Amino acid sequence: MGISLKEVTKEFGTFRAVDNITLDIPTGDFTALLGPSGSGKTTLLRLIAGLEKIDAGTILLNGSDFSAKTVRERKVGFVFQHYALFKHMNIFDNIAFGLKVRPRKQRPSKKEITEKVMELLKLVQLEHTASRYPSQLSGGQRQRIALARALAIEPEVLLLDEPFGALDAKVRQELRHWLREIHQKLNITTLFVTHDQEEALEMADTIVVMNHGRVEQIGPPEEVYQNPANAFVYSFLGRVNELRGAALRGYLGNTIPNGDEVGYIRPHEIGLNRTLKGSSVPAEVSHVTKVGSTVRIDLKRLDLGHIFEAEMSTEKYRELGPVQKGDILYADLNHIVIFNGKNNTTQPVLENKTLRAAYL
Amino acid sequence: MLKKLIRHRALPGFGLSMGYTVVYLSLIILIPLAVLFLKASTLSFTEFWRTVTDERVVASYKLTLWTSFFAAFINLVFGTLIAWVLVLYDFWGKRLADAIVDLPFALPTAIAGIALTTIYAPNGWIGKYFAAMGIKIAYTPLGIMIALTFIGLPFVVRSVQPVLQDLDTRYEEAAATLGANSMQIFFKIIFPAIFPAMMTGFALAFARALGEYGSVVFISGNMPMKTEIIPLLIITKLEQFNYGGAAAIAVVMLLFSFILLFLINVWQWKTAKKQQMI
Repeated sequence: MGISLKEVTKEFGTFRAVDNITLDIPTGDFTALLGPSGSGKTTLLRLIAGLEKIDAGTILLNGSDFSAKTVRERKVGFVFQHYALFKHMNIFDNIAFGLKVRPRKQRPSKKEITEKVMELLKLVQLEHTASRYPSQLSGGQRQRIALARALAIEPEVLLLDEPFGALDAKVRQELRHWLREIHQKLNITTLFVTHDQEEALEMADTIVVMNHGRVEQIGPPEEVYQNPANAFVYSFLGRVNELRGAALRGYLGNTIPNGDEVGYIRPHEIGLNRTLKGSSVPAEVSHVTKVGSTVRIDLKRLDLGHIFEAEMSTEKYRELGPVQKGDILYADLNHIVIFNGKNNTTQPVLENKTLRAAYL
Repeated sequence: MLKKLIRHRALPGFGLSMGYTVVYLSLIILIPLAVLFLKASTLSFTEFWRTVTDERVVASYKLTLWTSFFAAFINLVFGTLIAWVLVLYDFWGKRLADAIVDLPFALPTAIAGIALTTIYAPNGWIGKYFAAMGIKIAYTPLGIMIALTFIGLPFVVRSVQPVLQDLDTRYEEAAATLGANSMQIFFKIIFPAIFPAMMTGFALAFARALGEYGSVVFISGNMPMKTEIIPLLIITKLEQFNYGGAAAIAVVMLLFSFILLFLINVWQWKTAKKQQMI
């Protein structure tokens, strides 16, 4: 149930925007389509809404085939990145639009429309804006109205295309919480597109990681973050240091390196010490940045000259003692995850079990 | 005092550009118009009043106003349609069609007038079929309207075209996801967006038609009380060396035009302010 895609493909000319995607989104789920730009996530969303025609495959919404239905018939709530509020209508009319355009027989009475609109305005906490025009509202307010407008038609699924992409960081943070709350209240199957991994990790029940029109991994945020299926997912979710060639020496165990391996380690997984411990790597500090509760340290390996980044909490940093540019520290890279990088879709060749144990 | 009214911009040169604008407007428009008023004021008030309320002049005012209005209205409808076709569809010869739209600007209006008269005269290519049905086109107000439609066509097309081009398909898509059908999308979303541009085009076409002389004099037949337009009456007065009378008629015409254009502009300014294009 919910949204179910079977072997969906969409081509623009010779470019395959969506490549044979099969996907099931359960009813009531809050799903993020996450991927870099050009990964086909927006196209997939537009296919589900019916704004693009599919070339092959089927789309089922709550069990019924929607592939051949028009946008109007699908009744999905769609929220655009740049709101797409009708400029010449006031807020009330914007929200009422979906109800007013219904065929006469299904159209609610004037009174019912007014009640419904006011109820939605209350839901998005913007009752006082009913008679204003979109140009008089801030970006965050506009996006909330856009959501209210989409909800007015009582859609079975809600599709959001980079809903917070055009907003500043603080408003974005507020709206994320707010949208989760709304979802909890209404429990509508929701699918939203984002290129911001933080947003996806923070909001979604399920993350669908996409790249080159294909699905790379599907799973709950912790799972996708802790157990990335392949190198792409690993490097796309969160900050990473990439290690290749000589830098991997000593981490491959019994595997014989062939030059295709690529290793990743997240900055916070790098341990820094003042003294040499086991297989630590000596490195020179080139920069120290304090960002809120974390400290980022840029380092340069003394043996290979590679630059990498480590991150730690302020407490850990205090334990380490003040670090200055030019200090020599020893970096523990044992938490490295190595993929056979020939194609980006292979399983990790070596997993660090201790790391997993620590998180799961 | 003035300084307070000026909103400062990052680019310098306000003084220079404003000064140039004032001088330019004065030399080209304001001073000639002032002279017109000056000339009209050489008449005594009774003379002035007699000239402009003359039966023949009043009939001419009416004719000019209503033929111009209807011509502009026809252009509003069909000009919008042409702009629509040129923007939304791709077809062979689109660029050519696009260029043809501007021809009425480039052609000497007298030539257009003669050509239209030839075609729409009772024995002309098109006129003869209408004549067979008992409809006379040339030498009637209908003919005047055709000439005025011809010269006003580019205004509406060129006003509406860029707005249609910039129209974001997301609004249509948003309306479609909310359940609107194509008619509703057109009338509730697209039409309100292009309406101000349509009105601009209408106002320009209307203004142009009010002052048109060259193309109309050939097709109208210039019968007093029936098909005499104001510019023709002015020329007639001038030919009789009645400069004061000509100026009086012109001044009244000018006031009419100014009031109408001003009203359209105020209305437009109000809608624009309300929507404040994002």
